Amino acid sequence: MNTKKMFRSVLAMLLAAVMLLSFAACKTGNQGNATTTGGENSGTVAEKSYTYNTYLTLSPSNWNELTYQDNNDTEVMSWIGSSFFTYDFKFDSNGEIIPGEFEVEYSAATKLEDVSSKYVGTKWGVPEGATGYAYKITLREDLKWENGDPIKAEDFVYTMMEQLNPLFQNYRADSFYTGATTIVNAQAYVKQGQDLKNQAASVIYTTYSADLDSKLIFSLAPPVEGGSEVYLRTSMGFPASYDAAACANYLIGNYLTGSAFTAEAAAAMEGKTFAEIKADATMKAAWDALIGWWQTEPNEELHFFLTDYTYPELSFDEVGIFVGDTEYEIVIVLAKSLKLLKDDGSLSYQAAYNMSSLPLVHKATYEACKIAPTEGVDLWTSNYNSSVETTMSWGAYKLESFQAGKQFVLVKNPEWYGYNMPENEGLYQTTRVQYDIVEDWNSAWLLFQAGKVDGISIDVSIADDYKASSRAYFTPSDFVGSLQLQSNADQLAARQSEGVNKLMLKYTDFRKALSLAINRADYAQKCTTSSLAGFGLFNSMHYYDVENGGVFRNTDEARQVLCNIYGVDASKYESLTAAEKAITGYDLAQARELVTKAYNEALAAGDIKATDKVVLTMGTGSITESVERQYEYIKASWVELVKGTPLEGRLDVELKDFATAWANDFRAGAYDVCMGGWTGAAWDPGYFLLAYLDSGYMYSAAWDTANTMMTFTMKGVGENGADVTETMSLLDWYDCLNGSEGAKYNWSATALEQSQRLQLIAALEQEVLKVYYTVPLVNSFSASLLSYKIDYVTYEYNTFMGYGGTKYMTYNFDDEAWAAEVAAQGGELNYKN
Amino acid sequence: MYMFKYICKRIGLMIMTFVIIFVTCFVLVKLLPIDTSVGFGEDTSKIIAQFEARGYFDPIPEQLVRYVKRIVLEGDFGIGFRMPSYRGRAVWDVFIEKLPPTILINIYSSLLAVPIGIALGIFAALKKNKWQDHLISTTVMVFISVPSFVYASLLLFTICFKLQLLPLSFASFADIIRAYPEKNLVYTPGTFNWSLYFNKEMFLSMLPAVFAMSFGSIAGYARFTRAELTEVLTSEFMLLARTKGLTKAQATVHHALRNSMVPIFPSIVGEFISVLSGSLVIEKIFQIPGVGGLYLNAINSQDYDFFMMLSGFYLLVGLAAGLVIDLSYGVIDPRIRMGAK
Repeated sequence: MNTKKMFRSVLAMLLAAVMLLSFAACKTGNQGNATTTGGENSGTVAEKSYTYNTYLTLSPSNWNELTYQDNNDTEVMSWIGSSFFTYDFKFDSNGEIIPGEFEVEYSAATKLEDVSSKYVGTKWGVPEGATGYAYKITLREDLKWENGDPIKAEDFVYTMMEQLNPLFQNYRADSFYTGATTIVNAQAYVKQGQDLKNQAASVIYTTYSADLDSKLIFSLAPPVEGGSEVYLRTSMGFPASYDAAACANYLIGNYLTGSAFTAEAAAAMEGKTFAEIKADATMKAAWDALIGWWQTEPNEELHFFLTDYTYPELSFDEVGIFVGDTEYEIVIVLAKSLKLLKDDGSLSYQAAYNMSSLPLVHKATYEACKIAPTEGVDLWTSNYNSSVETTMSWGAYKLESFQAGKQFVLVKNPEWYGYNMPENEGLYQTTRVQYDIVEDWNSAWLLFQAGKVDGISIDVSIADDYKASSRAYFTPSDFVGSLQLQSNADQLAARQSEGVNKLMLKYTDFRKALSLAINRADYAQKCTTSSLAGFGLFNSMHYYDVENGGVFRNTDEARQVLCNIYGVDASKYESLTAAEKAITGYDLAQARELVTKAYNEALAAGDIKATDKVVLTMGTGSITESVERQYEYIKASWVELVKGTPLEGRLDVELKDFATAWANDFRAGAYDVCMGGWTGAAWDPGYFLLAYLDSGYMYSAAWDTANTMMTFTMKGVGENGADVTETMSLLDWYDCLNGSEGAKYNWSATALEQSQRLQLIAALEQEVLKVYYTVPLVNSFSASLLSYKIDYVTYEYNTFMGYGGTKYMTYNFDDEAWAAEVAAQGGELNYKN
Repeated sequence: MYMFKYICKRIGLMIMTFVIIFVTCFVLVKLLPIDTSVGFGEDTSKIIAQFEARGYFDPIPEQLVRYVKRIVLEGDFGIGFRMPSYRGRAVWDVFIEKLPPTILINIYSSLLAVPIGIALGIFAALKKNKWQDHLISTTVMVFISVPSFVYASLLLFTICFKLQLLPLSFASFADIIRAYPEKNLVYTPGTFNWSLYFNKEMFLSMLPAVFAMSFGSIAGYARFTRAELTEVLTSEFMLLARTKGLTKAQATVHHALRNSMVPIFPSIVGEFISVLSGSLVIEKIFQIPGVGGLYLNAINSQDYDFFMMLSGFYLLVGLAAGLVIDLSYGVIDPRIRMGAK
């Protein structure tokens, strides 16, 4: 009885307590529009408040320049940081924006000098007569943190030391040794002490010589935990499940049957040094057979080896960044030259692209945020720039509040140097920026219509009603949405079952047929909000010559590639432009012929039985409404394709969810078709080809680009302008195009005119397209609606400036007026007109 | 005494079960291949070096011992490493910060759902086969059949957007601080400030989610109560109660309702325990920074520390809930004696 009473009492008290706590604190508060006047203006005459309300689907977590990982993080970084050099619109004499043009201006820096000649013959290894290797950046003297602390050159040098600190292994350290901006010894400093036993030897030794024999260890085995991919494995596309014996058997079965390279020899060689292999006659014979088959270029011995290389200790004095002659000068020495200045001494586009800024942290705050490793862990971490308390801004805005997973707010930073610059007078009208985290698009859409969010993407579900809105704008993207078709024939075979065929995908004609069966224009209209049909790896956002506005897709070379791939005879048109316009990428009759041809070949080769059904598995990371729409369209197109062919009624497409591992699973050959593409490096299409030629990135990971040969004539690049004709693997051509270490030629952007490189970029694009592992479908455009509250300075998208950003954004209403306007509209704004 | 022994035995078994499942989870998640993929043009070795420095390539038993030692001796559940939005954040701090909105919404929803649901169930049972019963039963079937995200979307659209009776989104701390400047409220990450949650602004912003979550529960309780009570009302002992002179109301309240509560009460207890787990969809629609989805995202992102902490927590809560529910049978019905022979 007592127990019961007690239980009832506890329950009653619990209920009462919760209710009381909820209502006790309920007091009439300010329920109106939460208008603020901006932190810095508190206590002074109230100025009008202009809040830019936007949203993200995921919360940022770490906006530390040294460690950030995704675009959500950069959302905060873009407000709290500054740039040495920035892009700006180019205006005509009437003050009107000149469409498509741009300027590069000094911002946090006042001067940039190429000082390469000063460091020739020093420890920095700047080549004699070279330019673009060493730069001196002179900072403004009024740079300050939000708390008023001054910023000098030593702060940037300190930050770089922390960026490359080997104890932290900071996520963004590789920005200074993998990309275009490669600081001398940055990699060696960050990797000091690391034992690279598991990495491909070619990473360390680009040239083979006999004195390396005792350091090189033969291996076909998968990388041990923590090791990098061995070059050979990735270039051959061996799945992770293959052990050394399986790899050896594959090589023997497919390429080395009857040779001295036997399974026993391979097993004996595994783990042996090259010196040991050479000393044993049997192993030596096996090695000779293997390399004899493999080698197409000198030094490719290295592809089969691991090494015990350990990066030695290195002082930061050996890293190419230091304070110059005055406390406001930073000197940076690069391992690869960059053309940051034009011949006339003005800033090139690369200044704002490759050297926009260097990472910068507030030293005292950063030191206080360091977290020592716990037991069993060797890694130092930092929580710098992960909350208001740990954040320090030197940008136009500063963080005012941050609630993880919910909201963060930024306000103007009165210490920002830019507000004192005359050219910024009248700009930066935004006083406050509020980001809400809204995962669900439908919820965001209601917020937008209620005037609480100032911009939203147009979903397909509302596209018909809102695409014609006066507040709609369309933004091009460098992303080409493509179908990826499986390249791993072994895995295709392995996944077949009784009556279910996958191996048809092995046939290029069949893949080409799948490509020609899709009406891209119709697909773009029905399956995307505003994208357009796409035919090549590159679209109108890829510039081969940024300085001169050279869009790759608009060149004759690029147009010819598409004509060749899609079978349009350019000679029948008055120009290549007209021929390119005639491309639809859709030819059902030809596609059906190709299906029949491929089927007959497969039947003859025993790759398909007369009763088999071809079932293609389409994989995705998440089955959404949009994915289902795309899947249904593609399935319907391919079912239509096989009508009137031997495969009529015998082709099906199924959709499966592979969650976050979808891309890696596809590369490993786990399914047959996926939608995927790449974005990035839009101003360097030559480099961007890496995504389609390097097995580390390729969706078609089993396509052996290291052994797919191309004979090509590079016009006018030899001595005295002579042509150079070569037969090389696609990967080697790529290396030449980018001036990679060990490449036979250096045809990088700094060595050749862009117009000369163009021919090779086009040739490589054609090689990728003609195997039909990647089938471009749409050039991506995003459609958005902008609130009546604000206006962009232009609605014509500028590659360099977008729509002008916050700098040029103007407000039609301040916050109070906007609240009144929304209320006057009944709390629901109409954007249909 | 037998009850005490029974509870001790159950707790002992609970701990054993917890250890077995926890260790199994740890081993299984560590057996998954580590994703070392990086972005375009980035250096794979940097991510490998990070994993290595964090000890992820050490033998699993070694990692397990280290992990348990760290929790027991230092109360350190680790740092988020892979999951977007929470990288570099202490997993326990994130969880604690995200728990209050989830708990509050669940509690409010239960407080609304339990009395209304049971009352409707009683009413329907008493009016069995009359129009009132048909109306309630039909409505209940509709609300049980329709998923909660549908109510959520409808509520958001009608009540919050069209009629503007309630806020469109869950209030942020910054909203609350701005709404009550006189209170000088402060938000410190990783800490819990009651004043930020218990105020009118926050309460109103929670209501749409509370309604969305309670509709299904109301329907469930109404159906369950009606079914149980209907059965009890036709029992022979009810006839006996009436024949010995009790009024219908007395017989119903003192005999029928009490007996019908035996299976219903544990589910109410269970509901209150489940307040610790959030609803992924509801939290997404109403922009609530709760724990819903945290577990799923931890698994998808292979964030080991988050996964293990959440696995351990929910495992413990689940096991404890089982014990409490079992014990509650004895409280509601004295004839049930746990552990008695």
